Amino acid sequence: PFFRIVAANSRRARDGKYLEQLGCLDPLPNAHGEKVAGLNLERLRYWLGCGAQLSRPAEKLLGLAGFLPLHPMTVTGAERLRRRRQREQQPEAAPADGSAEPGSAA
Amino acid sequence: GKAAKPKPAFTDEAVQTLLYKMTGLDLHKVFRPVKRGLKPPNYKLMTEAQLEEATRKAIEEAKVKLIMPPVLNEREPIDDVLADDKVLEGTETAKYVFTDLSYSIPHRERFIVVREPNGVLRKATWEERDRMIQIFFPKEGRRVIPPTLFKDENLGTVFQQDRHEDVLNMCIAQFEPDSPDYIRVHHRTYEDIEKHAKYDLLRSTRHFGGMVWYLVNRKKTDGLLIDMINRDLLEDATSLITLYHMLHPACQSAKEAKEGKLQGVDLIKVFAKTESQREGYIQLALQAYEEAMATSSAS
Repeated sequence: PFFRIVAANSRRARDGKYLEQLGCLDPLPNAHGEKVAGLNLERLRYWLGCGAQLSRPAEKLLGLAGFLPLHPMTVTGAERLRRRRQREQQPEAAPADGSAEPGSAA
Repeated sequence: GKAAKPKPAFTDEAVQTLLYKMTGLDLHKVFRPVKRGLKPPNYKLMTEAQLEEATRKAIEEAKVKLIMPPVLNEREPIDDVLADDKVLEGTETAKYVFTDLSYSIPHRERFIVVREPNGVLRKATWEERDRMIQIFFPKEGRRVIPPTLFKDENLGTVFQQDRHEDVLNMCIAQFEPDSPDYIRVHHRTYEDIEKHAKYDLLRSTRHFGGMVWYLVNRKKTDGLLIDMINRDLLEDATSLITLYHMLHPACQSAKEAKEGKLQGVDLIKVFAKTESQREGYIQLALQAYEEAMATSSAS
């Protein structure tokens, strides 16, 4: 996969005609373990000045980049992930404890 | 105490003129045919005046080709954290590298930041910067990952084939002048040339000035001096010693030269007596040169 960060009319298809390409993102890590992203900040500022809106993934990406403050959904997503991981670890710990106790008791 | 003048830099006019004179201007070597596709040669019929005009233009172009690449100190590693968001810890598995692709910014001032998986937003290191700039703004002759030729083990093989000039040209294309790899490759090349006394390989190229600067700064000029005298390049030898005095004004031969205002062969003799390690060789070379001058003027 390969994503293009693009300025386009919001009614267009995802891969349809766009006004200008403002950058790209390669979501698969390369040989050095990096996900390479390029952003044309000068043109981005121009389009934002013209009154363009950002899509949610674009906002999240710019939050990660540091151009915009970190998106609140990124923070929420991180907390949800952490809570889900904790919940997965506790049931593992509980049945493990439950199966170990009868073994040690008996 | 004595007032210390600021040490002459590589870019000073006086230093550059001396280095340029020493580089020599061998048109046959500068415009040596580069391997290209086969084409039948182009013959032109010219009068004497046109030939002089053509040689003059060739000398101008050769001067452009002989402009010396810059000699800079090693760059400081970048280590700057812009933000630290501990909430992002554990969400990602790989780091994100963001490059600013605005066209009209010089590459040195471009923003290239890295968001690590632990949430730290830091400026990219020099190696990451060079790689990203090459990916998005490719330059001819440069690869994204530096070729394995520039590793120390492989340099030895190339030096045995006497291809120092090609290595240095490739190095200039691949690395920035202040990167540690550039400096390391250049120093290795100069050391190898000095060990085997292959100074003539770089003589009429743009790398000669850099090599002389390196040798004079480390006081390893004896081999070069002997080589110059053996090839009857007395003016080059004197300019080498003048450069040495400019860079090390506190040495014995510099003081004696300033007192006596010596010129030419006397300067070399004083230098040989006071500063050099291989005094015997230099004396021998000077003797051979003087005998050759005597026989040629006698006959």
